[in-house]
Amino acid sequence: MSEHLSVAAPSWLVWVAAVVGFLATLLLVAEVLRQRASRASLVSGFAAVLALELVILRPERVQTNEIRSLPSVTVLIDTSRSMALPGYDGSRFEEATRALAALQTHAKGKADLHVFAFGGQEPVAWSSKLTPSSATSQLDPTLSSLERGERTDAIVVISDGRLDAPAPGVSHEALKARLGPLGIPIHTVNVVDYAPKDAQIRSVSLTSTAVAHVPVPLRVEVGCTGGLACGELELHVRELRDNGPSIEVGRGVAKVTDDAALVEMSVTLDTVGYHVLEVSTSAPDGDSIPENNKRLFPVLVTRERVRVLHVAGRPTHDVRAVREWLKSNASVDTIAFFILRTKTDNAKAEDDDLSLIQFPVNELFTQHLASFDAIIFQDFDAQPYGIGRHLPALARYVHNGGGLIMVGGPNSFVAGGYAGTALATILPVALEDTDQSTAADVDNFVPRWSDEGRAAPLLGPLRSLSGDELPSMPGTNVLGALHPGASALWEHPTRRTKDGKPMPIFAIAEVGNGRSVALGIDGGWLLGFSTFGLRTGGRGTAALWDGMLGWLMRDPRYEPVQVDLADACVANEPVQLELRALPGLAPKERSTVTIDVQRLDDSSKPLHREVPISAGVGTLRIPFEALAAGGYAARARFGNTTTVRRDFACEVGGQEWADPRPDPEHLKAIAAASHGVSVSTRQVDHIPLPDAKILTTMRRDLPVLPPWVWAILAATFAGMHWIVRRRTGLL
Amino acid sequence: MARRVFRVATGLVCTLIACAPDTARAFGDVGAFEARPLLVGDQSSARRASALALWATELTNRTSAPARAKPREVRASDDALFDAPFAYWSDNRELSPLSRAEIGNLRRFFALGGMLFVDDAAPGAEGPGAFGQYARRELARVLPDMAPTSLPKDHVLYRTFYIVRRPEGRTGNVKPLEVLSRSGKIKVIFSSHDVAGAVAQSPHGGWENRLEGGEPQRERALRLLVNIAMYVLCSNYKDDQVHAPSLMRKRGLSPTP
Repeated sequence: MSEHLSVAAPSWLVWVAAVVGFLATLLLVAEVLRQRASRASLVSGFAAVLALELVILRPERVQTNEIRSLPSVTVLIDTSRSMALPGYDGSRFEEATRALAALQTHAKGKADLHVFAFGGQEPVAWSSKLTPSSATSQLDPTLSSLERGERTDAIVVISDGRLDAPAPGVSHEALKARLGPLGIPIHTVNVVDYAPKDAQIRSVSLTSTAVAHVPVPLRVEVGCTGGLACGELELHVRELRDNGPSIEVGRGVAKVTDDAALVEMSVTLDTVGYHVLEVSTSAPDGDSIPENNKRLFPVLVTRERVRVLHVAGRPTHDVRAVREWLKSNASVDTIAFFILRTKTDNAKAEDDDLSLIQFPVNELFTQHLASFDAIIFQDFDAQPYGIGRHLPALARYVHNGGGLIMVGGPNSFVAGGYAGTALATILPVALEDTDQSTAADVDNFVPRWSDEGRAAPLLGPLRSLSGDELPSMPGTNVLGALHPGASALWEHPTRRTKDGKPMPIFAIAEVGNGRSVALGIDGGWLLGFSTFGLRTGGRGTAALWDGMLGWLMRDPRYEPVQVDLADACVANEPVQLELRALPGLAPKERSTVTIDVQRLDDSSKPLHREVPISAGVGTLRIPFEALAAGGYAARARFGNTTTVRRDFACEVGGQEWADPRPDPEHLKAIAAASHGVSVSTRQVDHIPLPDAKILTTMRRDLPVLPPWVWAILAATFAGMHWIVRRRTGLL
Repeated sequence: MARRVFRVATGLVCTLIACAPDTARAFGDVGAFEARPLLVGDQSSARRASALALWATELTNRTSAPARAKPREVRASDDALFDAPFAYWSDNRELSPLSRAEIGNLRRFFALGGMLFVDDAAPGAEGPGAFGQYARRELARVLPDMAPTSLPKDHVLYRTFYIVRRPEGRTGNVKPLEVLSRSGKIKVIFSSHDVAGAVAQSPHGGWENRLEGGEPQRERALRLLVNIAMYVLCSNYKDDQVHAPSLMRKRGLSPTP
């Protein structure tokens, strides 16, 4: 226990008392100097002022108990994947653990160390079982997280300097502005300062949005580190495909000078949606990290203008309605072929009097098929025009990312000879062509909405016009059961398929990289022109086709769910997929999310998950076990909504191994901006530790005299001074 | 002799068609072309009904387009006007002015994308007769923001199926067709040629009217009717075909001539 004198008055009052006392003393001295007052007056006056000051200040004795506390130092160890790269003796991560041990020795008895691992958004308590597995090095969010926690007196960062945040190259001022407000020094320990012998693809980026059919510039940065002689390196760009080998879509040569090369290439992708591209390079002998010679990355291909091939078997009001919609849509570029005369028609005219051209079947369905984003077959019989032999190519076209809409009519579906063909396999519905089956049901009916139809964003525009109401349709093509994974949006109110379920009228399906739609009616135009059309302002047909083509082209407005990776996928590490339902599309009752993850070049059974979700839950994360390096397609279905596909890539090294050079300068900049020091692992004991803190555990304030005693004393001295002044004639 | 056989056969076909039951719309039939005669005010029956049936028959025989063999009459004031986007209006006299209900219905019909073919059954030598003038006046009340314009010779209507060099009907009138159109879409076609009159059948078989130009003139009138039907069903599709070469060249295709 210790004791010292103090005063009970607040500090401001102490200052006021001091100033007043000083002025009064000056006044007394001045009187004496001018010989107006005696020395006795000076002494008595000074005593009176002092007594008054003591009344105001009220002196007291303070008794306290104090303890000495060690400073708190937070140690952050980088656990990003770049720390698995070679260090001096083993990996950089091993070097970091040795640095931690040295720091613990240095701080023994001088500071309390709190050790965390950083990499992702939040720090993790340190454990010797941790491995360098994070796909990022997020120091900045880690610091923010520490700011919200307990006070620390200093931070020590142990890393190779290859951080994502703060990003390398940030100015000193910006770093100071970010780190200064923390008010504590950040010391850095650089685990390695040499680059391994390695050739690598440092970065791959598209310099503009990828648009279908349009060459998109691809910029590839290649590096050679550690003195490896690279010279010229070949680059190959390949597109990973569903259930088949990848195809080369680009090639280039990197001429490496000053350890780096920048290669500009261009690739053309024909279909909209996600594609996974692989960029690889050959490396010279001595390359120490072969994993970073290949990069995988997903590319989202959009379209500038949708290119549609509209083929109609005969002209009808339904054909005209679709055509008018296509022509009125400024974002659609249409090529149309309508069969205006069949072999049985007799035009009674010479060819010169006819405004007809041949249907260029072979040109369209061989070399130019891939140039279309979507194909509409409307009431079209494939057989008489020799399209039958092109149907396998058409099915492949859809598998590879194209879109197909088959619209009903007397020449469509089974009646069009599609049953048993390759095209039938990619339609959302089965086509049953047996002796007992019929091609069409001619009875009038009103299509019925399915639960999927009500939830499907692609029918949102139509529902906003007419709600649940649909016009009566004069018959339908007879369609079979849904293919696995397909969704029926409208159903027949009475007809059933072989599996006992309502017959689909309007169905959609994901097929490989593409999508297909089956619309088994030829009265779609009645949505726009009819008494029903009067109630929709004539916009029903356009609303239906807006949604249908938009969904086919993966317009985000018509996708019910957004599927993304929660974090970058690292090969052989667990991965999480995040699903977010569009606003308003979260399931209204307890439901199930199904998700399948399929490797692109593998047709084996996909990884399947079914996760129950509560009503109203719009976002969830679904974990998957470790995936091998490669491209994957995730197909997710949220409750009653339609299926959504998202392609992604898993890499062994990923961005963390893309550039194996350490960045000690970045660590130095961070230390300098926060008044810390930057050291190597051999200089850990040079890190200054904060001073110990004194903590008061008990305090007792005891008055020297009671306040009334100070008051009597002051009154007494003031009275004496008054008497002295009277006697000297000053009053 | 051959001509007589053709007339008798045609008359027989039309009689059979006229006797055919008026079935309800069926699958595949709903989008078929139907030259529905429009009736307004005190009009009690359609003029040129036999021509409209022949129009349908010839359309299905000559082209792949489906057509209703027995077109149904439709009153301008009925909701049935919205059953199909085409109607045929003809007479040889001035009729009573359109009622407010008829104007409202016709206005909605056009707003949804409907098209009307006004065929003057008694045109004057230089242009429209009493009905033609009446129809122009009344339709100006329905579509007050549009004025009749001559259809240019290169309009797609003249090549939707046949290459038609000029409009012809029962009369040898050389006046062009006139149209009311908005944004390139034809709402109304005015003919001062009595096109249907050229192919109208007499109740006893044979043609109702003798033509100065004989059978070639009748064939040309029929081709115009086929083209109008194809325009109703395909819109300006043949404009695409004109543009197809450049569109296809642009994307590396070359059309088969």
